[in-house]
Amino acid sequence: MSDLISIKGGREGLRLRLDDTADWQVLIEALKQQITQNSGFFAGARLTLEIGDRAINDAQMSTLLDLIQHHGVQIEALGATARESRSAARASGVVARPLPRYAEPTGPVQASESDGMLVTRTVRSGQVLRHHGHITLIGDVNPGGELIAGGSVVVWGRLRGLVHAGALGNVEAVVCALELRPTQLRIAEQITRAPEGAGKLGPETARIEDGQIVVEPWEGPKRG
Amino acid sequence: MARVITITSGKGGVGKTTTTANLGTALAMQGAKVAVIDADIGLRNLDVVMGLENRIVYDLVDVVEGRARLRQALIKDKRLPELCLMPAAQTRDKDAVSPQQMIELTNQLRQEFDFVLIDSPAGIEGGFRNAIAGADEVVIVTTPEVSAVRDADRIVGLVEAAEKGPPHLIVNRIKPRLVSRGEMLSVEDVLELLAINLIGIVPDDEAIVTSTNRGEAVVYDQGSLAGRAFLNVARRLGGEDVPFMAITDQQGVLEWLFGMIGRRRS
Repeated sequence: MSDLISIKGGREGLRLRLDDTADWQVLIEALKQQITQNSGFFAGARLTLEIGDRAINDAQMSTLLDLIQHHGVQIEALGATARESRSAARASGVVARPLPRYAEPTGPVQASESDGMLVTRTVRSGQVLRHHGHITLIGDVNPGGELIAGGSVVVWGRLRGLVHAGALGNVEAVVCALELRPTQLRIAEQITRAPEGAGKLGPETARIEDGQIVVEPWEGPKRG
Repeated sequence: MARVITITSGKGGVGKTTTTANLGTALAMQGAKVAVIDADIGLRNLDVVMGLENRIVYDLVDVVEGRARLRQALIKDKRLPELCLMPAAQTRDKDAVSPQQMIELTNQLRQEFDFVLIDSPAGIEGGFRNAIAGADEVVIVTTPEVSAVRDADRIVGLVEAAEKGPPHLIVNRIKPRLVSRGEMLSVEDVLELLAINLIGIVPDDEAIVTSTNRGEAVVYDQGSLAGRAFLNVARRLGGEDVPFMAITDQQGVLEWLFGMIGRRRS
């Protein structure tokens, strides 16, 4: 992630925080690059955009909207301190919220990827859990359900849907499940399918080794 | 206190309408006052299955839009005076009704009936949302097929999100012979995935075809396995603790045995 853009997550969903001092064109280019590079993470997401103190006009707002919607992302709301920006958002039919001034400078996203989210439920067909950091799920992921994480994924249950770990490009991310039978397993840019037929049962972990996804039975943490 | 129960499935053709007609009839046979509502506006079927098509004068959309009073649109069943049908409009579509209007309609019906059963259209769009808007409880019908179970799983998620409480499950059209040969999903397989409260197992039964074509509920047919299964579901809905019928297939077991012997020889 570039220094100009960071992702924050929370109970209320994803927030994409944009730097409010950099040149507008530079920021738009950086945003375009981020979303294109991490399309696996962003496609289908709903998020709140935060633009800080930056004042944008109607034309800039629609540039922003076009860019984001073009990549299959929906904007839930726009957060801005400047009134002008909020009225530009409303003019484009986007919910606008006042925003407290950025307290901390926007940092690279790697720092926040260590954020974890713990969820206890069944992720059913058509449901998506998306988080910029790690996801720990106590429960099953049914076929047709999706887990998309910027970090690693741990499923204390049966993982039978689609899982994407390291969806923001982190090749160190891993996927662990008590029963690892995903319809598709993705880590960073790598994609694999579970082998046909029932294999060995028991906890397994998947990681990238030498540019390929490798699945191994869980035997405790790897050393070295 | 009236209960409003929506019967839905996600996937089409798994037996929602048949289930609604038979549960409605069975509950009325047990002495309850029952209204069944066809919420499949534009593709109405419930009236046909119940053999009441030729009595329709007003429909649900007429009531919602104020052209008819509730009483005028409710059609009495042929046999059971305590059973009424609210037919769907055939010449309109799902957009003719809003969820708010469905809530108001079901609230009116609550005052006169013990059970209000709503036959939902297939899908997860507006028609489905209308059908569950006024419901207290949801019954999900599925067949033991991977595609139907997948859609049922999607529906469970939507029903939970709509805060209707955990839905009940009916597994329809079980073929014991195929299950015993391991060629069909078993009820256990379905339950393992969906993990919701099982309220009925209905075997595949040719009597459904004949009764549907005659416009009569299969629960009248004492000899029919499916009819008995639906009667049991109705009793469970009423709070009775009814054990599940053992769905076995004598012929199937023999065939399976012969099949094993045949395979050994070859």
